[in-house]
Amino acid sequence: MLRSLIAALMLCLPVAATAETADPVEAVITGLILPGFERLEARSAGLDAAAQADCNPEAPALRSAYNAAFDAWVQVSHLRFGPTEENDRAFSLAYWPDRKGFTPKVLSQLLKAQDPAIHDPESFAHLSIAGRGFYGMEFLLYDTRFRDPPEYACALIRASAHDIALTTAAIAKDWHSDYAHKVLHPGTENSPYQTQEEVVQELYKAFTTGLQFTLETRLGRPLGTFDRPRPNRAEAWRSGRSLHNIALSLSSLHENALLLSTGHPKMGVQLDAGFDAADEALSRIKDPIFADLSDPSAWLRADVLRQSIDLIRDQQSANLGGELGVAAGFNALDGD
Amino acid sequence: MRPSFLLTSALALTLGTATLADTPTPQSVLQTYATIGEANFQDSLITAKALQAAVGALITTPSAETLQAAKDAWLRARNPYQQTEVFRFANPIVDDWEGKVNAWPLDEGLIDYVDSAYGLSDENDYAALNVVATPVFTLSGTEVDAIDITPELLQNTLHEADGIDSNVATGYHAIEFLLWGQDLNGHDAGAGNRPWIDFAKGDACTNGNCDRRAAYLKAATDLLVSDLEYMVAQWAEGGEARANVLADETAGLSAILTGMGSLSYGELAGERMRLGLMLNDPEEEHDCFSDNTHNSHYYDGMGIQNVYLGRYTRIDGSLVEGPALTDLVAADNAALDAEMTAKLASTMAALEALKEAGDTGFAYDQMLERGNVRGEALIMGGVNGLIDQTKSIERVIIALGLDQTQIEGSDSLDDPSAVFQ
Repeated sequence: MLRSLIAALMLCLPVAATAETADPVEAVITGLILPGFERLEARSAGLDAAAQADCNPEAPALRSAYNAAFDAWVQVSHLRFGPTEENDRAFSLAYWPDRKGFTPKVLSQLLKAQDPAIHDPESFAHLSIAGRGFYGMEFLLYDTRFRDPPEYACALIRASAHDIALTTAAIAKDWHSDYAHKVLHPGTENSPYQTQEEVVQELYKAFTTGLQFTLETRLGRPLGTFDRPRPNRAEAWRSGRSLHNIALSLSSLHENALLLSTGHPKMGVQLDAGFDAADEALSRIKDPIFADLSDPSAWLRADVLRQSIDLIRDQQSANLGGELGVAAGFNALDGD
Repeated sequence: MRPSFLLTSALALTLGTATLADTPTPQSVLQTYATIGEANFQDSLITAKALQAAVGALITTPSAETLQAAKDAWLRARNPYQQTEVFRFANPIVDDWEGKVNAWPLDEGLIDYVDSAYGLSDENDYAALNVVATPVFTLSGTEVDAIDITPELLQNTLHEADGIDSNVATGYHAIEFLLWGQDLNGHDAGAGNRPWIDFAKGDACTNGNCDRRAAYLKAATDLLVSDLEYMVAQWAEGGEARANVLADETAGLSAILTGMGSLSYGELAGERMRLGLMLNDPEEEHDCFSDNTHNSHYYDGMGIQNVYLGRYTRIDGSLVEGPALTDLVAADNAALDAEMTAKLASTMAALEALKEAGDTGFAYDQMLERGNVRGEALIMGGVNGLIDQTKSIERVIIALGLDQTQIEGSDSLDDPSAVFQ
């Protein structure tokens, strides 16, 4: 199933990349951002509908809708500015990594107390971000410790799916109603950007931060060191999505980089070479949740992927910044 | 509550030589920055030594009074230290060292007893090791002799044990936990409430192993002092941190702004403030045992403003001042300097409101509670100011032509920890 999804995604690439514009900003907005958040909205609505129809955590229709929506999230997960940052929207969709176990803690507290806050969308939206979104729902669907009492667990799944649908719809609405306009028209009254350079920097920063997150967090956390791999830190291992999420995000970042390099055809060739090497390394990894990392050859195969993404950062990504004439600026991953 | 206003006359006396009217050279800006760094770390050391003396008195003569005096000394020591955090993120001497003194968050059960409801982490096998109660234990397959609790044991064996960041065995927060204990008040007001008899001698000792607890506290405090002594030397004439700053004008100016931006955005606004609010967890505050988080954020913000304006008020009230980024930016782009200065001031106003609320009984863990509208507004005021000023910091980087150097080997991209995605 995973392979076919990746293949389907790859098919979309050339279409977006040939968007007929010389402006990298317009290319990224029309080729990636707007369709990406539309897809996330539609699939989240599908998840909401599936949960209201049948909240059994084992129900195939619910799980399939959940995975489809999660896929759509991963594809836009690096586009963290503007509408995603209003009202903690993206945080509430995706609280991970969870180093201190807040997600299971919050969910256990809700289930134990049968907290009535879940019965109203407004009060649900004030719950801890650790209990909401795709990562919280993964515990509810795939971890049997979070199913009692069953009626409350069912209501919680429905409330969470509805919350995801409302949040993703709000993001898509803001992008369409005015944020795309603000990004395309820097220096106008309501735009947070003073110049075109600031807009390009924002888009470039989203790309580099996404690449860094996939490298160091999605892949780097389970990989750990050769002597001490940490497979239990893999992303979304309960639902078997760890490697799949890396593949999806690399695909989307590849697409993003090509769109950003609009007008710099030589960059496109370089970027393809870098991302193709990463795809090749990824295809050799056998365990979808990195559970085999204590096997030295498995660890080394995953490390080759790490090196290939690291190389993209060092080479192609840096060159792209140079071509665009912008620096990466400060991102949320700065810090200790 | 604004010491810099009260001390403007002192400023004129101490630094009358600064020629504020002229455009400063980048070299003179870097000199001011390094001199502030040195003074700021010196103040951190002075107050840490006072803490060391107070801890000595607590151990020799345990009592409610000596415990309180040690807590007061810890609180005083935090204020200058927090202002030094802006020197991080771009200077390897500081970055390689910082984790020893201010690592956070921590699984405090590593160090001493914790409540039975203490949540165990999936990721950390040693989150409830309790070294104070355990003289010999196995760590990552190796037997550890912890009969004598020494600075070496803390630094070389326990700190970041098993490669896990939250195994924090040293620094301000380890000491804070030993002085205050766990804060078990949830979202209610009140800090940790460790009884002084946790340090009592003989049969009066509560919760066991008072001698080992005292030994741990002494070792951690001695280590803090020696770590700060090292850092003061790095900022003195001939020190390596100072040399890093002065070696290259472009890299030096870039380092100042990288520290300002990284602390403003990813670290303070993100990991320390907004994340805690979104998690609604009372333990997600930076100084969670002492309930000193409002001060910790305030002085972080002040540090950022200090280095841009080139003014640092020492703990004795004297002022260190000189040519600064503000002058350099103003000479070229007065509007941008006005924007930057105004945003720093507006962040400080927001952080001051947070500090005042905290100082007058509205505890930070109350602010974090779900649905606490006033608390959320106070914290988000600071967060929004910090995010907003980061945009201006990026503009300053571009205005000074420092952006192209950032692309290659930006330190801010090399030392991350993911919180936001």
